[in-house]
Amino acid sequence: MLTALLPETILVATALVVLGLGVSVPKSRPLITAATLLGGFAAAAAVFLLPVDGNFLHGMVVLDPLARIFKLVILGLGLVAVVFASDSFPETHFAESLALILFSTVGMMLLTGTEDLLMIFIALELTSIPLYILAAFAKESRSSAEAGLKYFLVGSVSAAFLLYGLSLIYGVTGSTNLQAISNLSGIPDPLLIAGIVLTLGGFAFKVAAVPFQLWAPDVYEGAPTAAAALIASGSKVAGIFILAKLLTSGLGHWAGSAGWGQFLPGWAPVLALMAAASVLLGNIAALVQSNVKRLLAYSAIAHGGYLLIGLSSAGPESVTAALFYVVVYALTTAGAFGVVAIVEKHRGGSRLDDFDGLAQSSPALAICLLVFFISLAGIPPLAGFFGKFYIFAAALANPSLLWLVVLAVAMNAVSLYYYLIVLKHAFVLPAPEGIRTANAPASGFLVAALALAVLALGLAPDLLLTPLVKQNGKHEAFRAPAAENHFPSLASSAILNAGR
Amino acid sequence: MPSDYLLLTVFLAIAIIFPLIPLAMAWAWARLFSPPKPGKDKQSSYECGIESTGPAQIQFQSHYYLYALVFLVFDVETVFLMPFAAAFLKLPFSAFLALMVFLLLLVEGLVWAWAKGILAWK
Repeated sequence: MLTALLPETILVATALVVLGLGVSVPKSRPLITAATLLGGFAAAAAVFLLPVDGNFLHGMVVLDPLARIFKLVILGLGLVAVVFASDSFPETHFAESLALILFSTVGMMLLTGTEDLLMIFIALELTSIPLYILAAFAKESRSSAEAGLKYFLVGSVSAAFLLYGLSLIYGVTGSTNLQAISNLSGIPDPLLIAGIVLTLGGFAFKVAAVPFQLWAPDVYEGAPTAAAALIASGSKVAGIFILAKLLTSGLGHWAGSAGWGQFLPGWAPVLALMAAASVLLGNIAALVQSNVKRLLAYSAIAHGGYLLIGLSSAGPESVTAALFYVVVYALTTAGAFGVVAIVEKHRGGSRLDDFDGLAQSSPALAICLLVFFISLAGIPPLAGFFGKFYIFAAALANPSLLWLVVLAVAMNAVSLYYYLIVLKHAFVLPAPEGIRTANAPASGFLVAALALAVLALGLAPDLLLTPLVKQNGKHEAFRAPAAENHFPSLASSAILNAGR
Repeated sequence: MPSDYLLLTVFLAIAIIFPLIPLAMAWAWARLFSPPKPGKDKQSSYECGIESTGPAQIQFQSHYYLYALVFLVFDVETVFLMPFAAAFLKLPFSAFLALMVFLLLLVEGLVWAWAKGILAWK
């Protein structure tokens, strides 16, 4: 039991050591950063050393190959945030910021390795609470305080939604274990439907899907950039992973269908509507942004929509596609925030004008920016294209979902405009007088590595896709029970069908 | 059945009348035996002889919340230590070890707050 939590234990111990270092030697930033990274690498080694399969305390803690991949991804994203923070966070409370990043990472890792509703909730809170603090970490900045407060208020309300939803699911099914819940089938209680909808609301906050997206732009803009990078990447990966697990392995019987003319009540149509609204609102609102962090926030809302399309088509392939895309998206967006952090430190802001002539002053950085934004827009040689391609192709396995895919592809074309606007500022417009090359060795190196990773996953998507497909097909979690629908056909579906 | 509802109605009536009786008696007692004699002492906020001073809407240091947070360390400690102490003789060594780790975590929190200067009154 304790050994199953070895990576998490190592991270917590590291965080405590880092807190101690912050009190005893507060001035030596390199030492504190090195200790944090060392702990992170030790935790990664521990992930490798653990057995591949295992189930402890009735599914409270689960080891499986898929969770192992995602634990490593999340650990990597946490360490990326640590390096960004080491370059940009202020001297005061520096060690505390790194410890908070580690605590949040522990929460995300626990989230990937559980099959129990209670543990899901606790891990989600462990993820969120350090993120609230990190969002408000720039104490001198009003916008950071605003970001922290908004994130905290909306987050705690959505946690209440989630807890209430999970308690209703527990009340109806009599178990907090996902496998036990999936053994039930038949006509769901109305209470169960209410529970599912409330739970979806709670998770929609995590992935910033419309109508729970209002916090995202202010938080991404106001929070310190390293914190925003973690919120946009790690927390999204963990959120999508556990949502996919909860829906397909726990509530798979009650998926329903969002197909045009084949509407069946369940969680799939709810997700499809949220996906359609997110794709629409995210891409259109991003068109008018003048701050790159805010633009990335709206792009995150849109990408939350693409990911929900993958989940809402509710087949094993489409869930695999969504999992592939969330990893690719997290790497890309973490890199994009890294570029923004360097530019922000160098030029004092993250408005579009601050990117003017980046290609002249810091060509390598500009090329990384190009890779990330082109990948976000989904242009072929890069990983973002394959992620979207797999999601749309898997969704079209059910041809009645064409409406959703057409909408998403059309909106993706819209998104190209605002990504190219940023690149226009970086490559076409001249640099202001007296701008020198940005100098941030650690972050710069990491940004380049992320750009290479995005490029590699674009040239050889099999690197990640093959293990995902193999584990996802083999593993119990994520295999939805046979497609059957026991929802009483509602009047609305009858009307929709009559219209055909 | 109508008779069931009749029973409920009677119950409701009794439920309303029952608390009204002592209230009415108290009111009647006050009217008959204790005539009102308002005065300075009787009108004061706390009728115990001590003069109240100053306005009620005062400002106080929000700094206190940090003490409340640090107090939580001891608070949580007690909640878990009491049952542990009560069952101490029946517990294995690993339980002792687990609790010591738990105490260590709490103590580190206190030491951290202390070293950060949070306990110094500003």
